[in-house]
Amino acid sequence: MSMAGPVSPLSTHVLNTAMGVPGSNMSLSLHRQDPSTEAWSLITTGTTNEDGRCPGLISKQMFVPGVYKMRFETGQYWETIGESSFYPYVEIVFIIKDPGQRYHVPLLLSRFSYSTYRGS
Amino acid sequence: MAAAESSPLTTHVLNTGDGVPAARMALSLHRLDTNTMIWNMLNVGTTDQDGRCPGLISRDAFTSGTYKLRFETGQYWKSLGQTSFYPYAEVVFTISDPQQRFHIPLIMSRFSYSTYRGS
Repeated sequence: MSMAGPVSPLSTHVLNTAMGVPGSNMSLSLHRQDPSTEAWSLITTGTTNEDGRCPGLISKQMFVPGVYKMRFETGQYWETIGESSFYPYVEIVFIIKDPGQRYHVPLLLSRFSYSTYRGS
Repeated sequence: MAAAESSPLTTHVLNTGDGVPAARMALSLHRLDTNTMIWNMLNVGTTDQDGRCPGLISRDAFTSGTYKLRFETGQYWKSLGQTSFYPYAEVVFTISDPQQRFHIPLIMSRFSYSTYRGS
């Protein structure tokens, strides 16, 4: 899924903190909210690699100020490794005011907990 | 908000940026209608001085299903004169056994948040 050329200004990293491994092969999607209609548009879908990362999420040109959402298919992820989970999916909604910066939106995850922070 | 018997679902919001409970934060509880795939709002409330919101749901109303707790974190930080990376935080979870007690806290700062399934 990765795009050629420059690095995406927005990155993620999924970590399975229960097992102490990257959250690999997890489906995810990036969405932007239309400010007038408040409807969500899908920008890209992807799957995390061996290292739990997903390069090429968005290009610099497309990375305009706005409200974005990263949706992680966590329920599916646990199911494929034969486990149940408290959360069917995780959505993180965040505001980009200054697209000139780099943003890192990681997800640290177990079957019964998760956390995220704004990194760079 | 329901009085009397303790809700089987509770929450607790903590402002780790300032080291205080997040008081006066608006929140709402929703359940997913699986026929229409639409969220139905069950209750709205505001956290108290201790960051808690008693009476979220009654035992009778608490059936198996997919629920969402939406925390108006952006509004909260704004009322303290601060910006935040997240306009709100929504935690979507599955209740398979409504006989249990479920505690869904939100531990948050302007630039991070976490949650876990407690009891």
